Amino acid sequence: MSPIKGSKLSISHIFSRPILAGIFSFVFLFLLGCFLLYQRYQIIRESEEREMVGVMDQVEKNLNNSLKDSYSVALSMGLLIDDKGNIKDFDQNAPQLLEQYPVIDVVQMDPGGVIQEVYPLKGNEAVIGYDILKDPKTQKEAYKAIDAKKMYFAGPIDLKQGGTAVVGRLPVFKDNRFWGFSAVIIKLESLIEQAGLKELARDKYLFQFSKIDAITNKERFFIENHLDRDYNVVETIILPDGDWKFYIALKNPKETFYELIPLTFFILLIAAWLSWMVILLFKQPARLQKLVDEQAGELINSELKFRTIFNQAAIGMVRVETPTGKFLETNQRFRELCGYEEEELKNMNFRDLTDPVEVDKNVALMNNLLNGEIREYSLEKKLIQKNGNILWIKLSASPLWKEGFSGNTHIAIIEDITERVLAEDELMRKEKRYRALVENGAEVVTIFSKEGWTLYSSPSGEKLSGYSEAEFKAINLSTLIHPEDSKIFQKQLQFAIQNPKQPVLGDPVRLINKAGEWRWAEYTITNLLEDPNINGIVGNFRDISEKKQAEIHLNSTYQTVMEQNRRLLNFSYIVSHNLRSHSSNIQAILSLYNTSDVEEEKLNYIELLSKVGNALNHTLDDLNEVVSINTNLDLNIEPLQINAFIDKTIDLLQMQIIKKGAIIKRDIPDDMIVKFNAAYLESVFLNFLTNALRYREPVRKLEVSITGYKENGSWVLEIADNGIGIDLKRHRDKVFGLYKTFTQIPNSRGVGLFITRNQIEAMGGSVGVESEVGVGTVFKINFK
Amino acid sequence: MKMNVCVIDDDQIYQLIIRKAVERAGVYDSICFYNDGSEAFEDLLNSKKVLPALILLDINMPQMDGWQFLDGLIKHRPDFDRETTIYIVSSSIAFSDRTKAESYKQVSGFLSKPLSVEKLKEIALKHQK
Repeated sequence: MSPIKGSKLSISHIFSRPILAGIFSFVFLFLLGCFLLYQRYQIIRESEEREMVGVMDQVEKNLNNSLKDSYSVALSMGLLIDDKGNIKDFDQNAPQLLEQYPVIDVVQMDPGGVIQEVYPLKGNEAVIGYDILKDPKTQKEAYKAIDAKKMYFAGPIDLKQGGTAVVGRLPVFKDNRFWGFSAVIIKLESLIEQAGLKELARDKYLFQFSKIDAITNKERFFIENHLDRDYNVVETIILPDGDWKFYIALKNPKETFYELIPLTFFILLIAAWLSWMVILLFKQPARLQKLVDEQAGELINSELKFRTIFNQAAIGMVRVETPTGKFLETNQRFRELCGYEEEELKNMNFRDLTDPVEVDKNVALMNNLLNGEIREYSLEKKLIQKNGNILWIKLSASPLWKEGFSGNTHIAIIEDITERVLAEDELMRKEKRYRALVENGAEVVTIFSKEGWTLYSSPSGEKLSGYSEAEFKAINLSTLIHPEDSKIFQKQLQFAIQNPKQPVLGDPVRLINKAGEWRWAEYTITNLLEDPNINGIVGNFRDISEKKQAEIHLNSTYQTVMEQNRRLLNFSYIVSHNLRSHSSNIQAILSLYNTSDVEEEKLNYIELLSKVGNALNHTLDDLNEVVSINTNLDLNIEPLQINAFIDKTIDLLQMQIIKKGAIIKRDIPDDMIVKFNAAYLESVFLNFLTNALRYREPVRKLEVSITGYKENGSWVLEIADNGIGIDLKRHRDKVFGLYKTFTQIPNSRGVGLFITRNQIEAMGGSVGVESEVGVGTVFKINFK
Repeated sequence: MKMNVCVIDDDQIYQLIIRKAVERAGVYDSICFYNDGSEAFEDLLNSKKVLPALILLDINMPQMDGWQFLDGLIKHRPDFDRETTIYIVSSSIAFSDRTKAESYKQVSGFLSKPLSVEKLKEIALKHQK
């Protein structure tokens, strides 16, 4: 194994191990980050140092200014010494100088090293006469100034008068001989303030101020703080005029370091994240490879499945060349359907199996498929088998290319739907037949709910009722039924509801149509509420109005005939009875006459015979009148105003009415006009009024009320009196009978009411009576 | 013992004739007349009143006809047929009247007018005790 190969292998080794690569990149990135961080730290430190140098420069400058001022003051005071070595005008000049240089706290004049003059004196009295050169504490520094012949700042020292201060002593020489010191005292606080230390230090810096002790030669610190020089000291300045040293240091030197800690964490995170990305990146090729392998496997699998499906499917499948319609591949089922062998089909085209009529439609669809206008199609068509028989098939075609691409084969799936098509045809024929039956029948077929709302109504419904199906649905069935028939219908309906599936034949009812006419209908209702196809009550209604009308007409004709028959019978009875009573009398008289021998008696019989003759004549007159009413068919019938005729009748009876003191009340509208024969109407009114006058109750005043009104569209006239009345319990069926009377009053022949009734009935009207004995009688005439 | 007879009929002429015929027959004790069913009914209603042995009853009368008279009597004197014999005498030849007469067990027969002397004799013979 060559080294090159080995290295290659190690690289590929890393690539193939994503976690290792991740660890590598993490370490690398973290180190890089740390390096950058260190660089950053250094830069910060440098900038801090620079800043401190600047600060120290400022401090130095300030201090130098103070020292220079001290020097100027000391010098000015030196000039106060006259040639004899005496101090002049110290008290006048000292205040001026202090005012001019506020940094200076105290000025002294020390001829020969002994303090002689002090300003301000107050508080400093103790120092007068103090010999500086004799005190071992001060002499060393004092001599240092004399030796150097220039101003030297001693201290800081603890002042006799209290406090810590620096003392600047300027040695004054007169004629090259030491005269003494001109000294200024600056309190330490004033000096530090003058240096601007407080201002410059702020929170950030610490300062320290030190001096090498002249006696001990040790460094002495004057500011109280914990400045650790080994670590903190960054910058120092040395002032040679007083052997002073100034330190500056950062108050919190570790702050910078702490500031960088979050950044470190950030770098750690970035490194971790990036290395994770690296792992993912390195894993990608493996994943893709796996995907490819899986899909390849699936492809093989589905190809296999497709083959199997294609060959063994229970439905016909064909692969077809789309532009030509040639069969490329066919499955077993398809070959069974068409009856051709695989080899035969290889050279065939779909046209060979298609009804020529349907070819164009097929070709058009295939072209659409080819241009991508459609992605699939299905149609039902005929398939011509090898033996010429026809099968109905459902064909579904899908292209074998992806959408947006082009190709030239498609697959067609063929199902045999012959049975279904035939069944559908049959169903459609049946449906048509039933529909025709329902729609054209004279019967109305409806489906309605339990509550009577129409759910369906056959077209014949509109023909018969005038209501459209939509209108039907808005009307409740119960509102269409005649109120008198409603009870019957509801009863039948309830019966049907209680007996599902049982047809109930109801008695005919009247239903109102849209035009507002009542029509007779016969119906059958069947409760099919439980039938999921119907969900309602099926009602078959037949309009039987004509039939019913005929029936009603027949019935009324029958009634008329019966009535006439009854009257005829009655009449014949009367005729036979009344005529026979006379003839039997004649017979009896003749028989008596024949068997009598007495002449006088015979004369009596002849007289009797003539009486019978008169009575017979009378009877014949009555009968003639009756017969004439019943047989006179050509009477003139005209509209007659009732009021006019009542007037006429009252006129005729005026004498009697006055004589009997009768009161006649009338309430008859002027528009009460009836069709009647004038002579009959006169006769009728005359008869009723005459009767009222005749059969009055003697104990009270006769009152007759004549009232006319309409009832059910027909005119009614009531003639009421307060006369003796008739016992209807006994005589109801005889009131209008011939030769019937119910009173003892003479001249009651029992003819008037019989005639009156016949006259009214001959005009198509009717007459009735209500009466109570002792109260009165009401006759009610109903006009036609 | 001769029977007394009562005629209920509104026909005045008939009343004259029957009076003659009864006299001719000579088998009856006395004869009385009522002009209407109601007249007879009011008179005979009282149970204390002795009924005539024979009643000749007409059907058609203006106020109360023969049938009503019969019904009224049956209601008020249920046992009257033990005291009397009733014949319906009518000029009616209607079959219905004859059948109706037969339906009354209290009625002994239906006779058509005119009533001959012989018939009156026959009835008297039949019902004389």
